[in-house]
Amino acid sequence: MYENMLSYLKSFSSWIILAAIAALLPLMFDSYFALTLLSKMGVLVMFTVAYNMLLGQGGMLSFGHAIYFGFAGYVSVHVLNGIGSEILPYFPIVLFPIIGAIVGASLGCIIGYLSTRRAGTAFAMISLGFCEMATAFTLIFVVFFNGEDGIQTDRVVGPEPIGVSFGPQIEVYYLILFWTLLTVVLMYLITKTPFGRMSNAVRDNPERAAFIGYNVRHVRWIAFTLSAMFAGAAGSLHAINYEHIGFESVSIVQSGQVLFMAFIGGVGHFLGPVIGAIGLTYLDSVLLDITEAWLFYLGVTFSVIVAFAPGGLAGLIVMHGPIARTNKSLLLGLIKPYLTAIGSTLLGVIGTIGIIEMLYFRSLISRGEGEVVIFWYEFNANGFLSWLVFSFLIIAGIYLCRKTYPKARESWDHAISVVKSEISS
Amino acid sequence: MTNILKLSDVSKSFGPAQIIKNLNLDIEKGERHAIIGPNGAGKSTLFHLISGHYKPTSGKITLNNEEISDLDPHSINRKGLARSFQVTNIFPKMSVAENIRCGMLWSKNFKYSIFKLLDSEKELNNHTTKILSELNLDHCAHIPAGLLSYADQRALEIGITIASGAETIMLDEPTAGMSNSETARAVELIKKISENRTLVIVEHDMGVVFDLADRISVLVYGEIICTDVPNRVRSNKAVQEAYLGTEGK
Repeated sequence: MYENMLSYLKSFSSWIILAAIAALLPLMFDSYFALTLLSKMGVLVMFTVAYNMLLGQGGMLSFGHAIYFGFAGYVSVHVLNGIGSEILPYFPIVLFPIIGAIVGASLGCIIGYLSTRRAGTAFAMISLGFCEMATAFTLIFVVFFNGEDGIQTDRVVGPEPIGVSFGPQIEVYYLILFWTLLTVVLMYLITKTPFGRMSNAVRDNPERAAFIGYNVRHVRWIAFTLSAMFAGAAGSLHAINYEHIGFESVSIVQSGQVLFMAFIGGVGHFLGPVIGAIGLTYLDSVLLDITEAWLFYLGVTFSVIVAFAPGGLAGLIVMHGPIARTNKSLLLGLIKPYLTAIGSTLLGVIGTIGIIEMLYFRSLISRGEGEVVIFWYEFNANGFLSWLVFSFLIIAGIYLCRKTYPKARESWDHAISVVKSEISS
Repeated sequence: MTNILKLSDVSKSFGPAQIIKNLNLDIEKGERHAIIGPNGAGKSTLFHLISGHYKPTSGKITLNNEEISDLDPHSINRKGLARSFQVTNIFPKMSVAENIRCGMLWSKNFKYSIFKLLDSEKELNNHTTKILSELNLDHCAHIPAGLLSYADQRALEIGITIASGAETIMLDEPTAGMSNSETARAVELIKKISENRTLVIVEHDMGVVFDLADRISVLVYGEIICTDVPNRVRSNKAVQEAYLGTEGK
């Protein structure tokens, strides 16, 4: 029994470490900016992992998953306002994600019933249609959605048991952290259940799944409903975090964001979406102030990952697993070719960013003397020299990449062939 | 002997082309029944009709005296009929053991549960191990199924088919593309797994057919021209003309 417990703890050790780090983060970064950023990360981690139940685990590409996130947010805001104006009885803030989950699951159950009749491209198109419909709804039914302004709310309502009012951002952060950990662990455990396995089976081979007794549509429908349920819980926290909900939270923009996060992080691995959500939320908050071209860079990154690393960042990490398990020194041997390849890529990337920033800058109306700050240095966007320097970097980057990439590939092939021969012997 | 599977006047047309014509077939409980016939005779279509992949244009199919003509594949499977495919049809990304375990889930009443962790279901996992050793696949239980050799994938396919414990097993060309030694192993496996079950098999290799089958049906252009024990099928004039050709003389 004791040993059982120990092995259980061991298999959850990485989770516990992650949870501990997340809980300690506010001690290191206690500015208001950092706290809002961390809170936002938590909400989006939850949303992205929920989305990946559909995309990664179930093989269904949805362009409209923000519907459940956003609607749950609207309902939560209305309930909060109802409690605030004493129309509704008090309901603890801590349990609000349950309201969101119920809203998400109900909507997911209805919309999922209609859209999981089809798979593949048809499913994706239907989800896009529903997303457009939902956005139109928010602008038409002003009574409930209040049009483009959205709705404000105040999360400090009702009694304050043990002195927690959820007014200060730090308290909201721990609320979000608690629910994110709980739901992510639940979603992880679901992948280990009969439903979770059959969801993978239907993704990989729906025909075979039917001939072992499973109604493929039911499996998809359940996956859809559960995914919408967790997305709804995240939407509730989103509303509490911002004390505001607007039409953009149900729109294609929000749906696209979660798709980007899941894909860049890696849909094939359970923790991929977590990496994607944390990384992109960070870049989004930090870079948005620095550069106008952030969305352009995001688009390019997304395209490059889809084309060259369809497993996402998690896929790139996981594919080194077998090497690390067989022979650690093989992994060390990869570091040098990787670093040179990454270095050459960086040269090209820096050059490209420089050119793009200057182009953006020149398109501005008030560009003054033409001084533009790129990578903390001032460049003259009108000067010939700046263009020459960045063009040179691009050309040097491309040249070096052509030298270093084949080397990196060779080292990888060598390492993997050693692993294969060791496994088969 | 009682009939477990019965086809009465079953026809199937795709547009103007009638692939199966008023076909009658009785499969007896516990027998090993082979269906042979030249290419394009409609053997695979017949399998698809029985397993629910296609719906018959007319006629009636019954399993254990229950009509199954209009049911979906998963419903027919739940009534105790499982099949394999001519083209290997497994879950390539899952481990070998996971493939077998998935094949068992419905029959062991796990349904769509999200409240049970599969790794802690002892009985289920023991049964999986047992089937894996029957298939001689226990050494590669945790390898992704897509990495197995072709013959092992075919064996796994049979394993998924029998995992549900179905009474009636249908195998579509289980030895196609195998070497002689692989075929011999596959035949041994099929003999072993078809004990106490009803087996319907489509097969091109006559050696396999005459070795395995209790009875043989010969399908030519969508019609069954003869159903009998192997020796009498071999000497049947119509069969020799239509199918075995010079080989039978």
